[in-house]
Amino acid sequence: MTTVSVVESLRQQIATCETQLGYLRQQLAEAEHLQQQRRLRGEESVRRTTDYDPLAHDMSYGLSDDFRSEIFAALSHAEEEQQEQSVQRWPLDRTEYKRYGRQLIMPEIGLQGQLRLKNASVLIVGVGGLGCPAAAYLVGAGVGTVGLVDGDVVEESNLHRQILHSTPRIGMTKVDSARVALNSLNPNVRLISHPTRLSPESAIATFQPYDLVLDCTDTPASRYLISDTCVLLGKPLVSASALRTDGQLMVLNNPPRAKGDGSGGPCYRCVFPKPPPPESVVSCGDGGILGPVVGVMGVLQALEAIKVITAEQPGVNGNSVRPTPADSPSLLIFSAYANPMFRSIRLRARKPKCAACSTQASVTPDALNSGSLDYVQFCGSINPVNTLSANERISVDNYAKIRMEVNPFTGMEPSRDSHILVDVREKVQFDLCSLDGSINIPFSTVSSVLTKEASEVESKWASELRSHSDKPIFVLCRLGNDSQLTVKRMKELGLDNGGQRWIGDIKGGLRAWRENVDNDFPEY
Amino acid sequence: MAPVKVPSGHFSILYFAAASSFTGKSSEHIAAPLRAGSLFEELEKKYPGMEAKVLASCAVTVNLDYIEIDGGNAPDLDLVIQEGDEVAIIPPVSSG
Repeated sequence: MTTVSVVESLRQQIATCETQLGYLRQQLAEAEHLQQQRRLRGEESVRRTTDYDPLAHDMSYGLSDDFRSEIFAALSHAEEEQQEQSVQRWPLDRTEYKRYGRQLIMPEIGLQGQLRLKNASVLIVGVGGLGCPAAAYLVGAGVGTVGLVDGDVVEESNLHRQILHSTPRIGMTKVDSARVALNSLNPNVRLISHPTRLSPESAIATFQPYDLVLDCTDTPASRYLISDTCVLLGKPLVSASALRTDGQLMVLNNPPRAKGDGSGGPCYRCVFPKPPPPESVVSCGDGGILGPVVGVMGVLQALEAIKVITAEQPGVNGNSVRPTPADSPSLLIFSAYANPMFRSIRLRARKPKCAACSTQASVTPDALNSGSLDYVQFCGSINPVNTLSANERISVDNYAKIRMEVNPFTGMEPSRDSHILVDVREKVQFDLCSLDGSINIPFSTVSSVLTKEASEVESKWASELRSHSDKPIFVLCRLGNDSQLTVKRMKELGLDNGGQRWIGDIKGGLRAWRENVDNDFPEY
Repeated sequence: MAPVKVPSGHFSILYFAAASSFTGKSSEHIAAPLRAGSLFEELEKKYPGMEAKVLASCAVTVNLDYIEIDGGNAPDLDLVIQEGDEVAIIPPVSSG
């Protein structure tokens, strides 16, 4: 680490601590203010009962004033007792009536619904684009206990969508950052931190104390793990996901009946028995995500959670006033640029041969606890691409020399015309920033399937490259994977003239270029 | 993806998420009737590689109802997709 980055890092840490300190001071001030108000209220009510009141004297059946005062004083001698009395008098605290008033007066919630929320505990796995809005609405609504699971720290690229985090808290753990925001939103909610990544070994112990789980994670492996754990522990699960402009939402294992009981709700495996091939799994970092898209899915998770928690339990006489969530399970598809934006798919009941929720289930608590269920293996993983030989690759430093320095062998001045630099990032990324003189051939074009239309497009870029058959081709991408695959593809198409022309990739892509050559090149 | 009239003798098919990226389309029309069990085969013909890379892990719906057509004894293989039906290919989205 260079001195500059050490200084920068220290500055950031100090800024983070100062912000935290600011929040703590603010919370202390609020707590002191609250305490003082309570004390004043207590004194006031004691005074009310002891002050001389001529009318009260007449109404006191001639009991001596002193005796009466003594009794009242005994009845209300301490502030705490005064508080307890008011708690006992009404099911909710006075401040709760005020805070939750707008939802309390709705028939869907009412007093019973609010008490259910207050007694409920919800676990939110993942405090990112989904978890932030979901947590904000659940804490705002007065869910009694909210657990937060996340092993990551806040990064600048999170902030456009992860609404609980903020610029001064970059570098803080997401769990701590969310706690600061949630505590300031509603200090009545008990927040529980689980600042680690969920693992098969820890899942059961982590989930056990909670009534309901929200899957706000971002990998196929965690989705199967969370669903399996909820099935094993009999907990309903609200699962959502989002990428680019699309989102999905399901309420799973609801109601959470025993394995093989067809009246229980389906689990994640019932709907998606097979994980997507790992090479097709795109993260928000690679594929992109629009803030409101993931936001709307997180908000809907909070809504579904509130519906599940406050749902009228089937009464003795079977008549329920409150609307209950639709009985049949569904998959809600959100597609921001489609019309209509929402589609609700009717799902089937549990699959009779489901690996998790049927009588033939292979997912068991022992298998989970012992770690013998390998979710990463089940979902597959991709290793960084490494398909080229050493002489088909060049480091960013050496490529920089070719661009900037006199060639030590030929004594030639550097010239951009001496070679072709192909940048295979998608056009939208290429338009953000690119190296001078590079030409853009998006990887999707290079790798596209050979349908009739595609082959015409392909021949266009390929013939373009063929027309300069003497110049070596350097292929560049964002991280250095697609560039290797492109080199292979170009050679398959014979663009290297049977080995006459050098085609190779620039190792580590533009990330390496930024780190080793040009610190000013934008990171996105 | 505005709802357009389906030409006669066709059903419409919607591609979501990864299916949309793979086909480069959000929807199209395919000749009806078609046995549900032949749907993946038909799509694989149009988009080579799609079955392994996308379809194998997808949920499939007909007129907003989830159907099961994966595996030799899946219950809906013989369901017939009719003219005017709306089929959707829904890959699992796992990011968040």
